[in-house]
Amino acid sequence: MTPARGSRPGVRPSRALPGARVAAALVAPVWRTLPWRTLGAAAAVGLLVVGAGRAVGAGPVETLYGLRGAGLALALGVAFLLDDPARHTTAPVPVRRAVRTLLRAALVTPVAGLWWAAVLLLVPGTVRPPAGDLTLETGTALVLALAGAAVAVRYGDAPEPGRSVAAALLGTAVLAPLLLPGHWALFVPPNDPGWTAAHERWARLLTGAAALCAASLHERGPHGQSRSVTSPCGTSGPSRTS
Amino acid sequence: MTATALTQQAAPAVARSGPRNSWAAVLALAAFEARRLLLRLPVLLAFALHVTWIVWRTLQPRDDYPVLQDADRATQGGPLLVGLAVLLCANRAVLRSTRRDTERHFAVLTLGVWRRTAAHALSVVPLALLTAVAVTAQFTWEALKSGAVGRGSVAELLTGPLAVLLFGAVGVLLARLVTSAVAAPLLVVVFLLLFVGGAFPSSGQETGAVWLDPVVTTAGAHPYPSDLLGRPAGWHALYLAGLALTAALLAVLVSGGRRSRAVQAAFAGALTLAVLGGVVQTGGVPARTVEARVRASVAPEKEQRCVRRGQVRYCAFSEWLPRVAGWARVADRVQALAGGPARGRDLLVRQRVDVRGGLLDDAALAPSTRPGQVTVGTSWGGNRVPEFSTAVAGVLVAGDEKAASVVCDGRMVTVMWLSLAWQSDPESALRGVRLDDSLTGSAIVVSRTEPLLMTAGQTKVVRALFDRPFYGVAARVKAHWAELTTPGVTTVRAAELLGVRASVGADRCAR
Repeated sequence: MTPARGSRPGVRPSRALPGARVAAALVAPVWRTLPWRTLGAAAAVGLLVVGAGRAVGAGPVETLYGLRGAGLALALGVAFLLDDPARHTTAPVPVRRAVRTLLRAALVTPVAGLWWAAVLLLVPGTVRPPAGDLTLETGTALVLALAGAAVAVRYGDAPEPGRSVAAALLGTAVLAPLLLPGHWALFVPPNDPGWTAAHERWARLLTGAAALCAASLHERGPHGQSRSVTSPCGTSGPSRTS
Repeated sequence: MTATALTQQAAPAVARSGPRNSWAAVLALAAFEARRLLLRLPVLLAFALHVTWIVWRTLQPRDDYPVLQDADRATQGGPLLVGLAVLLCANRAVLRSTRRDTERHFAVLTLGVWRRTAAHALSVVPLALLTAVAVTAQFTWEALKSGAVGRGSVAELLTGPLAVLLFGAVGVLLARLVTSAVAAPLLVVVFLLLFVGGAFPSSGQETGAVWLDPVVTTAGAHPYPSDLLGRPAGWHALYLAGLALTAALLAVLVSGGRRSRAVQAAFAGALTLAVLGGVVQTGGVPARTVEARVRASVAPEKEQRCVRRGQVRYCAFSEWLPRVAGWARVADRVQALAGGPARGRDLLVRQRVDVRGGLLDDAALAPSTRPGQVTVGTSWGGNRVPEFSTAVAGVLVAGDEKAASVVCDGRMVTVMWLSLAWQSDPESALRGVRLDDSLTGSAIVVSRTEPLLMTAGQTKVVRALFDRPFYGVAARVKAHWAELTTPGVTTVRAAELLGVRASVGADRCAR
């Protein structure tokens, strides 16, 4: 049996529940379902990259690459944040997807913040690039990953789109430095005169990613149902045996 | 029930004709997986990017005169990205049955897990072959250019495709070790930092541990004769092939192939190959090559062959002899503009390199003190043409390279006019030969030996001369040759003699 998706007007008695209480009740189960192993692996790789750079005495440019690599690693982990094998069964629950997604993000944010602080502290002060600007870069990567996951969940049917989102994010990270024209450059070296301008672009990108993420938080409306409700094994279509 | 019965009935038949059939099945599965792999978006994108990069790079005007012993290893960078895409997709393909939960269905087949792993490893081979086609096309294109000199090496050309094979095998191995979907992207990030970002320990060196890196481009400033390179390309290809086989066979071993003696033996063999290649390639530059480098740097006349074209004798390393015609065209044009005894003077154009400090060393050559000798480097095309013509003009005006390198008077005007006036676009050639690409003010003029210096006044006069009718200036140069080439003639006087009115200060060269 295929569960009905989207929110039907009649099935919302629990909307009267205060949002905060629902969210508080959800904290523990959501915490349990977060992909901690994936996030842990990504965070470990980030720490490993930066730690290895410290161990071999990397210069400022290598350190910058290492920090960007660490940020990208965690972003690849975050791309899996909205993976939910039970996704199709949670579509009709009273708590809206936006609340659940935001709750996931909110639970991960402090952990990610602690991790990033550890990564920054792991870098010797002499070769550390401007921490604020680099935090902006990493934050943008994380929000982009989350936005990608949110878009994939909203417009796709896959319960676990993280893999594709991670591949797309990785492809973007590889291609952007190669293909972006000079006046759109994002990945500039620390002594470049365009550092400030590049970070204004990063800030704009962050805003755009956050807006995209916010716009994709909700479950797709009923107009998207017609396609998704059709089960591949259903009997409503023409007979497949002929 | 029926399925179980079928399996039970079929089992003895398979046992009878097992090995042959199962290998046919492995090959069929490999062909199927290869086709799927080829159609994955990252792989398609990587190949499209690789081809675009090849076309863009090869069409660059500065690549019109390729030196093939450098062009062969210039094919190695592109396949790295293809390899990373293949790693990602091969990993994904192996994990597909886990992801889609079809592993249980496959478990009833006679084709065991390790044979399916072998098929996945084999499915990477067509992608490596496709990379080989791209690499061969790139190199052939370079070799067919009319300005190409030197000779390429098959081992260098094999490096790119073997790197793709290695990365694909690593992707398969990773899937058999870790079933997590995030593992491959994370490994790609680490590989990107190590191999593309240059964070590999000791990267940027010429010998030693840097050769454990899959691709070692050793991109120096100048091309060198192929017998001075001393790159262990053959051993490196062996190392990559051994490593790729090791990774693939390890994947087969960990997925249950350890019962097969043949797989164990093959794994041991592959590991031996990888270790052998890995150890030998890090041994450094062989003593014979070091001696040859010193000989070619200190006494190139013993290694070179000479040909005479008109009044100029050209001595070059034998691989560069096809380029003599290009040098002769430039030298003849410059000498035809000279006047007095310089017009009929015998010149010697000698190709020189200094490779004693290794391939990555960008040491300036000492200017020659022998009268009438001009130094030419190993690169050609683009700014190297006005650089060479300036060297010829300098020797014609000052007598020898050493004297030309310290010219700081009105003679500089004659040198630059001789060097550039005959070219199709003298001003852009002037821009190209000046270090800061400027057209005003003082600037350093690049040279394969000691750089020259133009003052702001000399620049102004030279540009004014370009605006005047060519034949009028040429006649004046010839008429006043003796005075124009006298040491100590001022720029003001030179401008006067050449019929240019320009307010120029005294000649001051701040070196």
